[in-house]
Amino acid sequence: MKRNALVFATLLIAILAMLAAGKYLTRARKHGVITLVGDVRGVPAPDFELASLDGKKVRLSDYRGKAVLLNFWATWCSPCKVEMPWFVDLQKKYGNDGLVILGVAMDDSEAPKIAQFTSEMGVNYPVLLGTDRVSEQYGNVEFLPTTFYIDREGRIISKDTGLLGRGEIEENIQKALASRVAGVNKADTSAAEPTHAKAQTTAQ
Amino acid sequence: MRRTFVALSLAFLLSVLTPAQEPGTRLPTVTMAPVSKVQLRAGGSATVELDFRVGSEFHVNSNKPHSALLIPTALHLTAVEPLKMVAVNYPAGQDMSFPFAPTEKLSVYSGDFTITAVVKASAKAASGTYPVSGELRFQACDRSACYPPRSIPVKFEVNVLNR
Repeated sequence: MKRNALVFATLLIAILAMLAAGKYLTRARKHGVITLVGDVRGVPAPDFELASLDGKKVRLSDYRGKAVLLNFWATWCSPCKVEMPWFVDLQKKYGNDGLVILGVAMDDSEAPKIAQFTSEMGVNYPVLLGTDRVSEQYGNVEFLPTTFYIDREGRIISKDTGLLGRGEIEENIQKALASRVAGVNKADTSAAEPTHAKAQTTAQ
Repeated sequence: MRRTFVALSLAFLLSVLTPAQEPGTRLPTVTMAPVSKVQLRAGGSATVELDFRVGSEFHVNSNKPHSALLIPTALHLTAVEPLKMVAVNYPAGQDMSFPFAPTEKLSVYSGDFTITAVVKASAKAASGTYPVSGELRFQACDRSACYPPRSIPVKFEVNVLNR
């Protein structure tokens, strides 16, 4: 009798564990698109290819080896406007250390209108035109701003929703920068440079 | 013993499957109160009051936000013959500042607000009940995040009398 109870308990725990895992799998397939759900920390950031404001194609994987701050925003989002001058400063401050800030505009507006806005805001980092697909890949971005911090190996280390303080943003940037690419020495991050340089060129 | 274990397991399952409420993850709501019966005579017009409520902790832009970049709240209505929409009148927005931009004033609606629509029936309209339908488009924010534009359906009926 006791043995039966033990077998039953083991089976039940196994089933519950599988259900829980299924619910919280951080990547799930939806409409053919791999999408992030649940706790995304440590999960590889989904790669994408988006058009920049000047029509060039930019892939997230172009920036492998860099710490990436991926910021979803829109021109109609007032809290997003507050962050932009901070991002401009932080890009200047940490650019040489390997930080790349990528803005993903979730506007319905056309590129010239967004470009005018970013020009007026003095944005010094690439701004890409968001799509429903990339929103879905990143767990259906419903709230703006939403920012993902991606380490040098392409893993998400943090996701923030809504406006945070500059200090918290900088702290996350420092964590992303602290990561190192496997197989690349601290003093030799140049292995990632050619890819980045190419991507930077196409994003400008 | 077995019952206790099953109960504990179910409790664990529920606790694992129930999503945690993170800040900024509640979707904004705008709802419309039912419209009282609208009556008018053929050839006449009526002003219809449409009462909306913005969910607590959220605001939407007014119809005339202070920046061209912001998405105004807009009501689009379509009436079938013999009715015709004559005008839609919006209330003035409240000028408010928010923690994300304390020095900036935004023109917003929050809580309850009323939009009036003027509907007219043609002089030859037959007696009967006619539908008016459309949507209210809005873009909401809370104190730290904004949400993509959404629309809610708006509909009411107009009873026309002709004798």
